[in-house]
Amino acid sequence: MPLNIDFLQVLLHLFNFILLAGGLTLLLFNPITKFLAAREEHFALLAKQNEEASSKNQRLRAEYEQLLEDAREKIAKQKTDSEKEWAQISAGYIKEAKEKAALLLQEAELEAEARKGAILSAAQTELSELVVSAAGKLLSDTVTADRNIELYDEFIRLAEDTLVRERTKYDKK
Amino acid sequence: MNKYKYKRIFIILWIIILIMILMGIFFLWPPDSKHENIQLVMRDGVLHEHNKMSFFGLLVNPAVISAYMVTALLLLSALLIRIFAIPRFTMVPGKFQNILELTVTFFTDMASANSPHRPRFIGAYIFSAGIYLFFGTLFELLGVPWLTTNQLSFSLPAPVSDINAAIAMGILSYSIILGAGIIHGGVKGCLGVLKDFSLPISMSFRLFGSLLSGLLVTELVYYYVSLSFVLPVIVGVMFTLIHALVQAYVLATLVSIFYGEAAEPKSSKKT
Repeated sequence: MPLNIDFLQVLLHLFNFILLAGGLTLLLFNPITKFLAAREEHFALLAKQNEEASSKNQRLRAEYEQLLEDAREKIAKQKTDSEKEWAQISAGYIKEAKEKAALLLQEAELEAEARKGAILSAAQTELSELVVSAAGKLLSDTVTADRNIELYDEFIRLAEDTLVRERTKYDKK
Repeated sequence: MNKYKYKRIFIILWIIILIMILMGIFFLWPPDSKHENIQLVMRDGVLHEHNKMSFFGLLVNPAVISAYMVTALLLLSALLIRIFAIPRFTMVPGKFQNILELTVTFFTDMASANSPHRPRFIGAYIFSAGIYLFFGTLFELLGVPWLTTNQLSFSLPAPVSDINAAIAMGILSYSIILGAGIIHGGVKGCLGVLKDFSLPISMSFRLFGSLLSGLLVTELVYYYVSLSFVLPVIVGVMFTLIHALVQAYVLATLVSIFYGEAAEPKSSKKT
C-alpha cells in the first residue's frame, strides 16, 4: 500500500483507541461528570433554598415595614386626635374660666355698686348730720356776716374732706 | 586599571573564544553515518518502512508500540485516579481535582456547544480522543528507547505520527458521525453525512501531517550533533507541546461539530 498504509495496523490502532476510550469513559469521564452533576444539583438546591429564604426575608421585611407604617399612621392619628381633644378640653377650660371670670367681675361690680351706694348713703347721712350740726351751731351762736361766711366755708371744706376720705376708702376696697 | 582586572578580562575572553571554536567544531562535525543518513531517517520517520518492531511476533510500526504503551499508562493512571482520587472529591475542589474537573468540563462544554442535542456520548468520545492525542503526543518527549527488529535502538514516536493511527482515528470519528446521522436522522441523516465522504480522509491526513511535521523537525534537530545542545529542548517542547494541545483541540472540535450537525433533529419544513 502507498505511504506504508497497513490495515492490520489500522485495526490494531482502532482496537487500542476503543479500549482506551471505553476505559477512560468508565474510569474518569462518567464518575467525574456524575460528581459534577451531583455538585451542580447540590448548589442548585442551595441556591433555591437561598432564594426561598431571601424571598421569605423580603416578605417579612415588607410585612414589618407595613406594620411599621401602620403603627406610624396610628401614632400620627392618635396624636392628631389627642391634640384635637386637648384643644377641645383647653377651649372648654378657657371658656369656663372666662365665664367664671365674667361672673366674678359681674358680682364684683354689683358688690362695688352696692358698696358705693352704701358709702354714698353713709356720706349723705354724715352730710345731713353735719348740716344739722352746722345749722344747730348757726342757730345757737350769734351770727355775724363774717361769721356766716366763715361757717359756710368750713361746711364746704368738711364736706369735701369727707367725700375725699370716703372715696379713698372705697378705692382701697 | 590594575593587573588583576586585566587578568580577569583575558581569562573571560580566552574562555569565550574557546567556546566559540568548540561550537564551530560541533556544527561542522559530520553526522554519524554508520547506520542511517538523514534522508533515510526522514523517510523512515514518514513511512516506517525500515525500523519495524515486534508486537507479539507481528512486525509493526513503532507507533503501534507507542499507542499501546500510552493506552496502558493512561488506563493505569485513570484506574489509580478512580480508586484513590475520585472518592475523595470534595465540594470545594483542590488543585488536582480542579485539573480533572476542568479537563472534563472543557470537553463536555465543547460537546454541549457544538452538539447541543446529544452531547453526552460525543463528550465522552472527544474527551478520550483529546486525552489520547495530548498524552500520546507528549509521549514522544519521554524518548522511550525500543529495539527494532534490526537491533537498532529507536526512540518511540507519538502514536498519531503514524499514518495508520491517524487513519484509525479518522475512520472511527467518521463512523461515529455516520452512526449519529443514521440513529438521529434515519436515511436522510445518513445521506447528509455520506456527502461528507472526504471527511475521514481529510481528518486522517490533517492529523497525520500535523503530527508528522513536528516529528520531522525534531528528528532533524536530533540527527545533527551540533544542534543537539539546548535547541532540542526548545524545539522538542515547543513543537510537541503545541502540537499536543492544538491537535487535541482541533480533532475534538471538528468531531463535535460534525457530530452535532449529524445528530441535529431533522425538521420537515413545509412552506
